[in-house]
Amino acid sequence: MRSVKLLLRLIRLQIRSQLQYPASFILEVISGVIIMGFYFVAFALTFSRFDNIGGWSLGEVAFVWGLAEFSFGTMDMIFSGFDYDAFGPMIRKGQFDQLLLRPVNITLQVFGSRFVLRRLGKMIEGLAIFIYSLTLIQVEWTAFKLLYLPVLVVSQVFFFGSLFVIGATTTFWTMERLEILNIFSYGGNEVMSYPMHIFPRPIRMLFTYVVPAILLSYYPAVYMLGKTDPLGAPAFVSFLAPVVAAAMFWLALRFWHFGIRNYQSSGS
Amino acid sequence: MTAFFATIRTSFRRQLTYRAANLSGLATNLMFAFFRASVLIALFNEKNIVNGLSIQGAITFAGITQALIGFLSFFSWYDVMHSINDGQIGADLLKPMNFFTYWLGVDLGRALGSFIIRSLPLFLIFMLFYKITLPDSFLQWLVFLLSIVLSELISFGWRFLVNLAAFWSPNALGIGRFAFGLSWIFSGFFMPLDLFPDWLANFSRLTPFGASVYLPIELFINSLTPGELLQTVFIQIFWVLFFILIDQLVLSRGVRKLVIQGG
Amino acid sequence: MKPIISVQDLSKTFKVYRNHKGYLGAFRNLVDRKFDLVHAVDGVSFEVQPGELVGYIGPNGAGKSTTIKMLTGLLVPTSGTMEVDGYLPWKQRKDCVRKIGAVFGQRTTLWWDLPLTDSFDLLKHIYDIPEDVFIANYNHFREILDLDPFLNTPVRSLSLGQRMRADLCAAFLHNPSLVFLDEPTIGLDVVAKQRIRDFIQFINQKKGATILLTTHDISDVQKLCERVLIIDHGKILFDGKLAALLADFGGRRFLNVEFAEYYPEVHLKDAEVVRVDGNQVVFSFERKTISASKLINRLSENYRISDLEVQNQPIEDTIRQIYEDQLLYNHPYDKRDPAP
Repeated sequence: MRSVKLLLRLIRLQIRSQLQYPASFILEVISGVIIMGFYFVAFALTFSRFDNIGGWSLGEVAFVWGLAEFSFGTMDMIFSGFDYDAFGPMIRKGQFDQLLLRPVNITLQVFGSRFVLRRLGKMIEGLAIFIYSLTLIQVEWTAFKLLYLPVLVVSQVFFFGSLFVIGATTTFWTMERLEILNIFSYGGNEVMSYPMHIFPRPIRMLFTYVVPAILLSYYPAVYMLGKTDPLGAPAFVSFLAPVVAAAMFWLALRFWHFGIRNYQSSGS
Repeated sequence: MTAFFATIRTSFRRQLTYRAANLSGLATNLMFAFFRASVLIALFNEKNIVNGLSIQGAITFAGITQALIGFLSFFSWYDVMHSINDGQIGADLLKPMNFFTYWLGVDLGRALGSFIIRSLPLFLIFMLFYKITLPDSFLQWLVFLLSIVLSELISFGWRFLVNLAAFWSPNALGIGRFAFGLSWIFSGFFMPLDLFPDWLANFSRLTPFGASVYLPIELFINSLTPGELLQTVFIQIFWVLFFILIDQLVLSRGVRKLVIQGG
Repeated sequence: MKPIISVQDLSKTFKVYRNHKGYLGAFRNLVDRKFDLVHAVDGVSFEVQPGELVGYIGPNGAGKSTTIKMLTGLLVPTSGTMEVDGYLPWKQRKDCVRKIGAVFGQRTTLWWDLPLTDSFDLLKHIYDIPEDVFIANYNHFREILDLDPFLNTPVRSLSLGQRMRADLCAAFLHNPSLVFLDEPTIGLDVVAKQRIRDFIQFINQKKGATILLTTHDISDVQKLCERVLIIDHGKILFDGKLAALLADFGGRRFLNVEFAEYYPEVHLKDAEVVRVDGNQVVFSFERKTISASKLINRLSENYRISDLEVQNQPIEDTIRQIYEDQLLYNHPYDKRDPAP
C-alpha cells in the first residue's frame, strides 16, 4: 500500500514536470491525434470506394479500431517504464541497480520510472474513432454489454501491457531489442484494429494461439456488434477477454520476477 | 570527391554490421506488409480493378512500401538534430567536407546497406507469398532504379531540413515529430493514392513526400509511357534540386547563428 | 562491538560465455555453449566496525565493484557468508537497504527529469524519514554542500560537481548507519574534491556513519582513511593502516638539484640519476639506504649547488607499483591464503 502511494506520488511529479510548458504539450498531443488519426482517415477515405470489408461496415471497423487505439494508448502511458526504449537504457546504464537500492517494490518503481502523459493523444484519437463508430452504427446495448465494455478496455490494456513487460524482461539477457516482440505488441495493435477474420490463416493462427489477440478484440466485438462469425467459434469465446488478459499478465509478472532474480545472480 | 565516396563506403559497412537490428526490422516490416496486403485483399474482395488500380497492384504497393521504410528512413531521423544539440556539430563543421555533403554521404551509405540487407530480401520473400506486378520492360526497371535513388535524395533533403530546426528551437524534437508525421500523411504511404479521393491523391503527388514515396511505386506498378516516365523523373529531380538549395540556405543561416551566438 | 560489515570467504564466480563468430556462430551459440569461469571475488574476508572510514582500493577489474554489489544486495554471492548491519543483503533487500546508503560517481541516485527538491521529497517518503529529522538533515546538508543555487534544477542539467553534491546529500538524509561511496570524486576539480572530502569526514565524525570508500584517487584515501583494504584479482592483498603500507613501499625519494654551474658528468653514491636538464639534475634514492641529509652532504663536497629540493614518491606511484609489480604478493602483509 505504501509502495502504491509512492508510485502515485512519482507519477504526479512526472506529470507536473511534463506539463511545465503547457502550450508545447498541448501542441504535441494535438499533432499526435492528427497524425495517428490520419491512418484511420486514410482507411475511411479508401473505404468509400468499397461496400464492406469481410462483411463489416466502416462503423463496425471503427468500433474495434477505436477500442484498440484507446487501449494501446492507455497502456503506453502507464507501462512506459517497461517500454524497451526506456527500460533498455535503464539496464545498460546501470540505473536499474538504483531501484534495487531503494526499500520499495521494484516492479512498482519501474511503473513509476516513466509516465508519458503525451500518450493522451492516442487515447483521444482512439476515443474519437470509437465515438465516430457509434454515430455510424446501431449497437443493441444491454446492461451486460455496457458493463463488459470497460472490462474489455481494461483487458486490452493488460494484454498489451503484458507484452511490454515480457519485452522488458528479455533485456535482462540480451542487450539487443528483440524486435520480434514488436510484432506482437504493435502488430497486435494493428490486427486488432480490423475484423480479424479477414487475415489469412497463418496470421490468424499466430494471433490466436501464440498471442491470443483475437480473444481480446474480434470475438468480444462479434458479440457486441451482433456479427456472425465465419470461423464458427462457440459463443462463450467472446467473454474470455478478461480471463486471457489476467492469465497473460500473471505469466508476464512471473517471467519478470524470474528475470530480476537472474539479474541478481549473474550481474549486469 | 573521394572523401564523399569514402564516407558512403564507411557508412555502408557500418549499416551492414547492424545484423540484429536489420534482421528484426526486416521481420517487423514483413509482418506489416502481410497485414496491409490482407486488408487490401479483403477490401477488393474479388473486384479486379478499382479506379485504375488492380488488386495485384495494391498488393505490390503493400510490399514495396514496407520494403522502402528502412531504405528511405522515412519515419524519423534525428541524427543531425542530436549533433546540434549535444555540440558534436562543432567537430563536424571542422571537417574538411561540406556539412551537407558529409551527411548526404552517411545517409547514402546507410540507405544502400539497408536496401541490400533489408529491402531486397523483404521484397523477395514477399514475392514468395503473393503474386505481384513487376515492371514489364527493361526501361521501366531502369527508370525505377533511378527513381528510388532520387527518392532517397528527396527523403534525405527533407529530413535534413527538418533537423535544422534544432539551430533555432530547443523543442526541435517536437517540431520534428510533427513535421515527419505530416509528411507521412501526404506521402501516399498508408493507402495507394489511387484509392484516395482524387483531390487528395493529386495534392499528395504534388508534394515532395508523394514524390519520394509514391511516384516510384507508380512507376513500378503501372506501365507508363516514356513520356510519363520522363515526367515522373523530372518531378523528382525538381524536388531534389529544391531541397539541395533550401538546405544549403538554411544551413548557412543556422551555422551563422551558431557561430555568432555560441553553442 | 558487533561489526557492521562482516564478510567471510566471500566469493563470486561468473560464467563468461565465449561467443562464436559469424552467422553460423550465432546458431552454434544456441547449441554449443563454451564458457570461462571468472573469479571476480575469490574468498574475501574482512570486518568493518561501526564508525570506521575504510578505503577499498585496487586496480581495475580487481573485484571492488563486485564486492560492493554483493554487500548492497545487488548481487548474490556464489559462496561464503556476509552480514551487513545484521542483514543478509540480497535476501533481506528492503530491510537492509533501508539502513544503508550508496553513492556512485558514475551515475546518479536521483530522478533525472525532476528538480532536486522533488527528488529529496521523494526520498523522504521512500525512507519514511520523520519530518523533523528530514528537515534538520536537509537544511544542514544544503548549507554544507551549498545546494541552494540549483535546488530547483533537474538533475539532468547539473554539472558533475553539483550532481555529486546532490547525490551525497541524498545518501545521508535518512541517517544510514553505513554508506558505500563508489568513486565520489571522479572527474571533479581540486576544489570540488576537497569539498566532498570535507563532507565525508564531517558525516563520519559527527554522525558516526560507517563509510566504505572505493576510489582510484589515492589522495582521497590518504586524506580520509586510516585503514585501507587492497584487493587484486579477487583477493584481499592488504588490510591495515595506510601509513604502514607507505613506510614499507613508499621509500623512493627524489633529490632535485640545481647546480651553480654545468657539470658534464655527475656521480652520487647510493643515488641514481633520473633526469638531466642543463644545470638541473634529478636523483632518486631509497629512504632505507641513505638519508637525504647524508646525500646532500655528499653532493656538496664535490659540487657547487645553487638550489635543491627533496621530494617523496607520489603516493599514486607507490600504489601503482604495488599493483603492477605485485609487490604485496608473498610479502608478510599478504593476506591471501598460501597456495596449496
